[in-house]
Amino acid sequence: MTDPGKSEVLQGTLDLMILKTLQALGPQHGFGIARRIEQVSRDVLQLNEGTVYTSLLRLLQQKWIAAEWGTSENNRKAKFYSITARGEKQLAIQTENWERISGVMGRVLRLAGER
Amino acid sequence: MGNAGISRLRAFAARVLGLFGTRKHDDDFDQEVQGHLQLLTDRFVAQGMSQQDAAAAARRQFGNTTLLQEGRRELRTLVSIEDLGRDLRYALRSLARSRAFAAVAIATLGLGIGASTAIFSVIDNVLLQPFPYQDAGRMVFLRIQDSARAQGGGRQAYTSDELLEFAKQNHVFDGVIAASDDLVLYKQAEGVEQLYGAHVTPGTFEFFGMPALYGRVMWPADYQPGAPPVFVMRHKTWMERFNADPGVLGKTFVLNGTARTLIGIMPPRFAWYEADVLIPEAPIRGGATGYGGFPARWFLLGRLKPGVSRTQAAADATVIANHLAKINPQDYPAHFQVVVKGLGDTVVGRFQSTLYTVLAAVGLLLLIACANVANLTLARATSREKEFALRAALGAGRVRLVRLLLAESLVLAVGGAALGVLIAWGGLKLIVAAMPPDFIPAESVIELNAPVMVFALVVAVFTALIFGLAPALQAARRDLNDPLGDSGKGAIGGLRTGRMRDAVVVMEVAVSLTLLIGAGLLMRSFVALRELHLGLQADHVFQTQLPLPDDRYKTATQVAGFFQPLLARVKAIPGVVDATESTALPPYGGMDSKLEVFGKSHTEEWHTLLQTISEGYFRVLRIPFKMGRAFSEAEISDARKVAVVNETFVAAFLRGEDPLGRRINLAGLETLADAVKEPWFEIVGVVADVSNQGLQAPVEPQVWVPFTVTGSGEQVLLVRSQQTPMALMNEVRQAVWATDAGVALAFPSALEDRISQLLYAGPRFGLVLMTIFGCLGLILVTVGVYSVLAYATARKTHEIGIRMALGAERADVLGWVITAGLRLVAAGAAIGLIVSLLLGRAIEADLSRGVKPYDPATLVGTTVLLMTTAMLACWIPARRAARVDPMIALRYE
Repeated sequence: MTDPGKSEVLQGTLDLMILKTLQALGPQHGFGIARRIEQVSRDVLQLNEGTVYTSLLRLLQQKWIAAEWGTSENNRKAKFYSITARGEKQLAIQTENWERISGVMGRVLRLAGER
Repeated sequence: MGNAGISRLRAFAARVLGLFGTRKHDDDFDQEVQGHLQLLTDRFVAQGMSQQDAAAAARRQFGNTTLLQEGRRELRTLVSIEDLGRDLRYALRSLARSRAFAAVAIATLGLGIGASTAIFSVIDNVLLQPFPYQDAGRMVFLRIQDSARAQGGGRQAYTSDELLEFAKQNHVFDGVIAASDDLVLYKQAEGVEQLYGAHVTPGTFEFFGMPALYGRVMWPADYQPGAPPVFVMRHKTWMERFNADPGVLGKTFVLNGTARTLIGIMPPRFAWYEADVLIPEAPIRGGATGYGGFPARWFLLGRLKPGVSRTQAAADATVIANHLAKINPQDYPAHFQVVVKGLGDTVVGRFQSTLYTVLAAVGLLLLIACANVANLTLARATSREKEFALRAALGAGRVRLVRLLLAESLVLAVGGAALGVLIAWGGLKLIVAAMPPDFIPAESVIELNAPVMVFALVVAVFTALIFGLAPALQAARRDLNDPLGDSGKGAIGGLRTGRMRDAVVVMEVAVSLTLLIGAGLLMRSFVALRELHLGLQADHVFQTQLPLPDDRYKTATQVAGFFQPLLARVKAIPGVVDATESTALPPYGGMDSKLEVFGKSHTEEWHTLLQTISEGYFRVLRIPFKMGRAFSEAEISDARKVAVVNETFVAAFLRGEDPLGRRINLAGLETLADAVKEPWFEIVGVVADVSNQGLQAPVEPQVWVPFTVTGSGEQVLLVRSQQTPMALMNEVRQAVWATDAGVALAFPSALEDRISQLLYAGPRFGLVLMTIFGCLGLILVTVGVYSVLAYATARKTHEIGIRMALGAERADVLGWVITAGLRLVAAGAAIGLIVSLLLGRAIEADLSRGVKPYDPATLVGTTVLLMTTAMLACWIPARRAARVDPMIALRYE
């Protein structure tokens, strides 16, 4: 079933992606977030869109994001999520963390390839 | 690092909050999901799909909503009610499948919880809060303690002057009251009855803060001189003497010659001074004379001001006492200190240590019970490894498995608690029945109460956690594949849990042996007490005190004029064998007197106990004569100066000489109110020794003389009967009233009861409880040893089959299993012996003389008992193992 061209979302990275999305685009509902991730990842990532909501709940519990009821583009009631100050700080920390790790991973993998 | 901790904490807080409003969250989420799906569908439709295909594609892209919802729920809260219900249902189902296990576990827990609840009830009601009075914890009394003497020396009764001085000068009490006792005679149609009365000072009822049950308590005006005389009655007296007749309220009774109106009946738990009737009296300087012509003495009770310690109170009272000692030096020892004691100290005293010993014992019992259940659960968990592995493989999370095990524990604990409350309820009745009456405050009511219930629940929950958590954690830690791959019957499996179970059995045996040894020691001690020879036969003897009114009974002639006809009347009652007068009650031997023996010179002072009797005394108590004879009737009626002495007397003062015909001088008789002039007496007989200093103390020299020589002393009547002694009471009372209608029976009882209450009641109580606990411990240990061995043997069936196939005999198998079991028991017994020796000091105070905490007979006896029982517990699984058919065992694979 799994499309060979797509990768599973790495565990823990979804939270980071959502935070970043909210920071970049401002308040969004779950559908919007899913669309944005789909668009940015250029269909490389395979996303069960429902898992976005699990991630949102986790972020809410940490008070890194806030939620508010609003109206969506098709005039439906929808919950809009926005990043909090605390979330911004967390995003900065996580981004730096991620860059460091991916840098290390890249170097390690390159080394292995050059042998 | 701290950041991670904080974020975890935040998530936890959110989950706790998430316990509430679950429904709303679910609805919100549904709405959100529906919105999302709708948007996705719209998008697909816009891309050209049919409505139906678009909806399906949307659902596919979104994922499983139910799974998502469940995941969210788990994330959002700690435990969902649904899951809890399911856990409990599973637990019940799985326990129902192993009924024997559940029954044993619940029974074990019930015993432990029940016993500890019962004992805790007693301790709470007797030691922690026995008194129903306001601020009872701050109520104290003062004792003048002679520094030169041990515990016994001192007094806690004060003259009116001292009482008023303490009340006025102290800085530490916010209230001081006092009571002085009085034997109250009240007139009835036929004669007088005797009540125990107390004169109480103004403010007494306000001090205790208890209103009357019926009528009213005393008002300040009731204490005023010239006020109409009134009194208040205790509930118990009202029930027993007046059949709870409400008509007595407002009636007038003649008490000690004064007509008094009964104005109130106190509630059942009011028992100040244990007085039947309370009479108002304002103490005055100079003091009135009280009972027996002595100046009235007051027992003083003060309520400490909030925040004042007993030490501060003692210091303050010492200043006042020093001042009083200067005014009345004859009333105070040369060196003394003021001791401040609590209200409870008046009664509980020595009994306290017994109760705490029992509490320790019951704690051990609970420990055994917990260990047993832990053991059973552990064994069961081990044999269920496969089941758990399967559950885990099918997708149960670790948390879920732990929760399932905890739920099972909880079901067991709740069952155990329910059974425990039942056992506690029954056990409490048993304890109350075995409880010696005078050892606990009369105010205390022993019943299961709310705090005790809470205690039981806490114990149950605590126990559930203790025994539920260990196997649960172990199960959660396990590698899934390990047990699935294991055939499950090999000898290797569960080595770690095996050690743990062994350790629990060893601990259990040790604790149980400690309990058994404690019970055994108390039993030895009790038997030793029973074996002590009083030197008299107390059975079938009725005894009563007869306080004679002072005004009419001063001289020997007057007293004899009462007793001679009374004795004749009593002896005429059918069923009466004999009757006698006495001035002391066994096992105590009367007053102390200085002594001279004619023709003997000595430097130190000689003393002897002195008791007056009539001629029937030695016959009534069946005291055998060693030499000479008893008094004749003529000697009694003529008040001849003749004496009977005991063997100790002869050994002490006339060793190796013929005591008969020797003359002795009893100077003590000269000091009495009705003094005997020239108190020289001729010894006419020697009797065997009779305990005269209480049961445990060695016998002192003692002299008996005719009661007709003096009118002084407290009079006692002893009657030997053919039937139950108490059956005589009414006829004896009629005989007394026929002789003098103004004399009442005081504290009538069977002599045997009095002695056993005096001497055996406390030890018997401790013995009964310790024996019960020892037996319970033994039962629990047997269950524990059995369950562990049975389990281990069952697991080894395969191995045993192989061994037998390879030629092992049945006897060998029997031997292996029993040896394995006994090794554990022996290790436990060794530890138990050591612990008992170390703990021996704790109960040393409760043992009678001559029984040591390391009594070899007890140690050997209890150890053998335990080993034998444990052997039985090993025998059953061993036999089962020996019957294993190798073919079946091997095919079992």
